[in-house]
Amino acid sequence: MSTIQESEREEIREALVRFLRAEAGEERLREGMQRDHGYDEALWRQLADMGLLGITVSEAYGGIGGSTIDAAMVAEELGRSLLPVPFIETCVMVPSLLESGDITEETQDILSAIVRGTATIAIGGNTALAPYRDPNSTLKLNSDGSVSGEVSLVMHGAHTDFLLLTFGSDAQTRCVLVSSDSGYDVDKQTANDPALRPATIKLNNTPCTALTGLRKDDLERARLRGVAALSALQAGAARAIFEITIDYLKTRYQFGRPIGSFQALKHIAADLFLEVESATSAAHAAANALASADSLAARSVALAGFICNDAFRDVSAQAIQLHGGIAYTREHVAHLYWRRARATLSMLGDSNTHREAYLNTWEAAA
Amino acid sequence: MSQFDSDASPEALRVAVLSWLDTHWDSENRRPLTEPTYDRRHWRQQVLEAGLAVPSWPPEWFGLGMTAAQCKVIEKAFAERNASGTSLDRYHLGAITVFRAGSDALKREMLPELLTGPICCLLYSEPNAGSDLAGIRTRAEREGDKYVINGQKVWTSNAREADYGMLLARTDWDAPKHRGITFFLFPMRQAGVEIRPINQITGESEFNEIFIENALVPERFMIGNLNEGWGSFQTAIAYERLIMGQGITGRRRNSEARGRPPLLELAEKNDRLNDPVVRQRLAQALAYREVNSLNNERAMTQMMTPGSMSLMSLSKLAMSRIQHGEAAIATDILGPKALLDGPDNSDAANTNFDAAKAYMNSIGGGTDQIQRNIIAEKVLGLPKEHEPDKGIAFREVKSGTGPGTTG
Repeated sequence: MSTIQESEREEIREALVRFLRAEAGEERLREGMQRDHGYDEALWRQLADMGLLGITVSEAYGGIGGSTIDAAMVAEELGRSLLPVPFIETCVMVPSLLESGDITEETQDILSAIVRGTATIAIGGNTALAPYRDPNSTLKLNSDGSVSGEVSLVMHGAHTDFLLLTFGSDAQTRCVLVSSDSGYDVDKQTANDPALRPATIKLNNTPCTALTGLRKDDLERARLRGVAALSALQAGAARAIFEITIDYLKTRYQFGRPIGSFQALKHIAADLFLEVESATSAAHAAANALASADSLAARSVALAGFICNDAFRDVSAQAIQLHGGIAYTREHVAHLYWRRARATLSMLGDSNTHREAYLNTWEAAA
Repeated sequence: MSQFDSDASPEALRVAVLSWLDTHWDSENRRPLTEPTYDRRHWRQQVLEAGLAVPSWPPEWFGLGMTAAQCKVIEKAFAERNASGTSLDRYHLGAITVFRAGSDALKREMLPELLTGPICCLLYSEPNAGSDLAGIRTRAEREGDKYVINGQKVWTSNAREADYGMLLARTDWDAPKHRGITFFLFPMRQAGVEIRPINQITGESEFNEIFIENALVPERFMIGNLNEGWGSFQTAIAYERLIMGQGITGRRRNSEARGRPPLLELAEKNDRLNDPVVRQRLAQALAYREVNSLNNERAMTQMMTPGSMSLMSLSKLAMSRIQHGEAAIATDILGPKALLDGPDNSDAANTNFDAAKAYMNSIGGGTDQIQRNIIAEKVLGLPKEHEPDKGIAFREVKSGTGPGTTG
């Protein structure tokens, strides 16, 4: 359950929307892409000042104790803005893991640092918890408790305060925390989306803290919350590029009339609108189901997983087509949405995986 | 004062409705407690007097002024006791149209009757006015305090059972097409009304053609003003689309959220659940259905807001994708067996029926293509396409496969 009331949530949303409009417009977004992190770190601290980074962190650790509904609301707006911040990992998945496992002084410190905006956490590994699963990861725990091995596709891995590494099998998943000053090598990888910063991490007997007290359910809940937040992010982004495209159809004239008056384009727009509305509905349903601990939450999350994935992919791809030549230029914003859609397609599971999981929940039904 | 308080909590409302039902309705034998047999009119009269027939309408118009959420509570309570007669403010197209578009006098005279007994059918489409519905040619001509109706209507369901038809007729041939139409509550049981069933590709005959020759409708049965029927009609059709979008049309084997869907059972029965391609398609099909009900839930909460009518078109469009898609998957699951039909091959027969029936949603009530235009124009605000008949006197407009016949 969330400690945040509906009306408060709308106030928070309005404040966030105002902030993102003022501080994270397209120009700032493009400036951020030139920076190490891919975004202006000042914005991250400002989000902390607004209290948003602790949205799911319990009040005991300085957060505001919101639910997945609140996290999804923030993710939806961040998705609209394309701001490439590590919100889902740092503010949704990691707090879920840390708070469901054994609470230590270190985990408490990290939770408080997350809330203050002084700790970002990147997640990497070869399990379903890794946003970008690297099947070739060689991560292993040494007998002295340190960690060694190599893992790629670690999003935000080059510029993070902590790494959360997850490896092993589905039956036995290990999660360890590595501080960025514990000594490891980083090779930056180049992403197709110019705002994203994946990296390969090489560890050699690097000290780490193993997370303890985590049951299988706890890991699964963190993953589901991550997928729900990602779905909301995709729903928000899909709606944003859809609105940009509809505006263009109203203002671009050819043959002496707005191109949006042509049925060939109207029909595509109507079909895309169905995708956008469906993505919003599915994302909200997933967040609601998790927040109310619905026994069918896994089904709702799997549904949102592929509905939002596919909607963002199709809406952003058609946005370029509907704009025509102007969107084939790097100056136009459409390709940034399209790249982000492609970048999130396999994040926390691809559509086929989510569809399979979704069907499994129906097969299990009595 | 009503015994149902619009300020009550959902739980208190539920309890109040259940206790009302328990003093009026025998849920086991499905009849009013006071009567030996079920009489639709008597029962509906009781429901109406309690305000439960149309709970969202204001108290001065037979309702209770309830919100959409409260109406849902009432509907669920009725379902719990196997009772009918509520939610007519959502399902009785005739009453809804009269309520929203009719004059106070018409509402006072006809709503109590419409809400307790008569069935209403829809007299909209004509052979030459399908997608271009405003191009209707059925004429209504004034004679004293009556209108004389002549013309032909088509795609009318329940025509034989209906006491009234919601009739669109042309009253001004010199006005542009949308501005010369009047909406009437038309008495069906009279001389001059001939009903002929249509044989459909599903094997059913639920629709009829209606031939109207010198039939009469009292002037006071006009819904809304003379020549302003198109606006009133928009209200009626939006509700029809919403109802279609909920998949109520056709023989639907509704799947309960927690049970196993029929499509899954069919795949299992035919040993196709190990096929990863079939699995992906099944998941997508089930998802389209689930997402549509999620979209509908969001649309319903907006339904009471003016201007949200066109969102209903979205749901109907989605239902086409669901029905055609499910029939296609079922056909592939059956494989060569889909060739067969008839009572000895019920899976194949059902699948073939569904494949044909899917057109009912994608054509009826406005084709998918018309729905896309409506969504694009009314919801997304895209400009209308060039309309050659815009602003032209209707008698000059070309129609069907040739020039128009002047009126």
